Amino acid sequence: MTLSKKSGRVGTARKAALSWAVVPIALIVPVGGALVALVGFALMQAANATAWRALFEAHWLLQSVVMTLWTGLAATLCSWSVCAWLLSRAFGSVWWPALVRRLGTLLALPHAGFAIGFVFLVAPSGWILRAISPWLTGFNQPPHVASSQDEFGLGLIAVLTLKEVPFLLWCAASQLQRDDAGALLLKQTHAASSLGYSSTKSFWTVVWPQLRLRLRWPLFAVLSYNLTVVDAALIAGPSTPATMSVRAWQWLQDAAEEANAIGAVAAWSLAFVVALATCAAALWLCAKRDYAQDGDRGSERWASIFYSIVRALWCFICAMYLVVFAITLIGSASGLWPFPAFVPQSLSWQAWRSVGSSAHTLWLTLGLGVASAGIALVWCVAWLECAPAKWDARARPLLCLPLLLPSVLWVTGLHRFTLSLHISGHAIGLLVAHVLVVLPYVIIALAPAYQKFDARFSHISYSLGKSHALYLLKVKWPVLRAALLSAFAVGFAVSVAQFLPTLTIGEGRFETVTSQAVTLASGGQRSLTAAYAALQWLLPALMFMLAAWLGAPRWMSR
Amino acid sequence: MSLLVEIESLGMGPRPLLLNTKLSIASGEVLTVMGESGCGKSTLLSAIAGLSILHLRFMGRVTLNDRPLDALPTSARRIGLLFQDDLLFPHMSVRENLLFAVPPGTKRARAESADAALAELGFEAMAHRSPLTLSGGQRARVSLMRTLLAEPHAVLLDEPFSKLDASLREHFRHWVFERIRARALPALLVTHDAADAYDATRIWRWPDLPAMNPLDSQPS
Repeated sequence: MTLSKKSGRVGTARKAALSWAVVPIALIVPVGGALVALVGFALMQAANATAWRALFEAHWLLQSVVMTLWTGLAATLCSWSVCAWLLSRAFGSVWWPALVRRLGTLLALPHAGFAIGFVFLVAPSGWILRAISPWLTGFNQPPHVASSQDEFGLGLIAVLTLKEVPFLLWCAASQLQRDDAGALLLKQTHAASSLGYSSTKSFWTVVWPQLRLRLRWPLFAVLSYNLTVVDAALIAGPSTPATMSVRAWQWLQDAAEEANAIGAVAAWSLAFVVALATCAAALWLCAKRDYAQDGDRGSERWASIFYSIVRALWCFICAMYLVVFAITLIGSASGLWPFPAFVPQSLSWQAWRSVGSSAHTLWLTLGLGVASAGIALVWCVAWLECAPAKWDARARPLLCLPLLLPSVLWVTGLHRFTLSLHISGHAIGLLVAHVLVVLPYVIIALAPAYQKFDARFSHISYSLGKSHALYLLKVKWPVLRAALLSAFAVGFAVSVAQFLPTLTIGEGRFETVTSQAVTLASGGQRSLTAAYAALQWLLPALMFMLAAWLGAPRWMSR
Repeated sequence: MSLLVEIESLGMGPRPLLLNTKLSIASGEVLTVMGESGCGKSTLLSAIAGLSILHLRFMGRVTLNDRPLDALPTSARRIGLLFQDDLLFPHMSVRENLLFAVPPGTKRARAESADAALAELGFEAMAHRSPLTLSGGQRARVSLMRTLLAEPHAVLLDEPFSKLDASLREHFRHWVFERIRARALPALLVTHDAADAYDATRIWRWPDLPAMNPLDSQPS
């Protein structure tokens, strides 16, 4: 009798475990299935010998590969060095908290919007030349130099560097704030300076070697992004030779099936380039360095001068964002604006009126952003709530696939996938595409707060006789409100910034703020381009502000 | 050799911790500063070493061997620090940690100093291991050796025994004081545990400040 009772108990426990496992399975199967299918479709396109032959025979291939490697590696190295340099002076100093506070604002801006503003700044008829013409340069007409889409890719490198420095700093800040890591590193620098090492030398021998390794995933992400970026490269990158990603994208846009096939294999070879570059970066990071070799203590002599230089560099980066934003806003409201004039001769609301008359673009952007971020947030909450930690760890690489693969490649896979479901070119297909891109960002933004949540709150809540649902609604989610809202805002910003999925899966039938801005950037309608670029800025910024306002703590500390 | 610390006021943010105090330590002497945790003992050591710590306020003078230190950064003060945590650098091997502390010189001379320190520790076999693989007591020894290898002119000890097991503690304490005495260094030890004091005649008790409430104290 005891036996049967026991087995009965085990039976119910098993049943409970089974019904409990149903939820995470129901969550992961559609998302994971879609991602696996998408890679499968992309792989199928790789098996096309004629396309590979055509690719290798193309005369532009080598030039494109060189341009891709040059812009991608140079931008990554620049942002990595600037980040390290800023950290060497800011870490542990008085202005570090102020610096960290400003990062969020800089991160909210999409690459494409920044690239458009940057081109307004450096173009032959741009703000910089206007500021120094004609009194310094003698130009009364814009000169015939390609200063915006220069053939060396310098503009693209500058855009990518300026965009990635805040991201790397933000990753470093989150590493330094984790547990006691930052405090321990600070104490270690104290130990080094008590051994006679200057503050600079202490940073480079003690803090950076440890921090560098912890920043490997952000570094790989930046490297992969810089090598595969399409929208910013279309706007600020060179056109002859264009980077591999732009070439692949152009082939994929072609109406002919053979051209598409070449685009797909070009995307695969880009993935191969990224994999090689990542391996090289990993080897470079892990290379053994001898910090104790000569015992040189460094000098404090130039410390204050270097401090000023590095602070000036940071001010310059922030100022670039401000200037780019200002020129975008002014450009969007400019009427007649002949060349050497620094400000427009007349203001005009023509561009904004035209944005208003195609309000469906704005509504679609907002709707897609809110819907995809909302679905992704609900999915992530359900996943983090129900999935065991082991499952989550296993599923994470799969979920982050859209971050790891070159965007042109995974978009082709996604397009084939939506075609097979007959949802390509429909709103639902577009939504699926956006949800899949937004999902990894939302889970990365949300997971740390979710995992840090003290489980003892639930024990207290249950012991007070509250049900699990009541605990979630009244305790856990209210406590995590700020994290939930900011994860939603991150998802919204990612959706607004999407260019490739909107164009490919939408099959050109849907227009969002970003697709309009990038398409217009190659044309001559300056004020309309600027208006859409400004919207790319404003929409995520407003969402982040809304999230911060709604998520503000009930009692402000101090 | 002697260390002289004259404090007009010492504080953390708005909180005053110590006023009008003079501490003088001769070479080979260990002054033990006793006080409850949180009274500001570590802050005092940071001020003497000149560490840049946010909100630390120090008015006073620090003189080491008749040399005023106040204008110097930590790296130029030649004051060795031994913390509660061993603070060995995890990205360097045990030997590299020691070598890191040896003053500049020829490669061979530096290597010899580091190897001599390893021999004194009896840790030759662990030279190329990560410090994280050592036991707490072993790490504490390497940490002190590293401090001494930089040839400091004075040593500040911030409760270096508090994280060790009781059995290890006694032994390590003797080991530390023996080495400090052999080098005839002035040393300042802060602790809240009377058992850690080196010399009962050289104990200085942290005074209770008359005004611990920041609102009551007027900046003069």
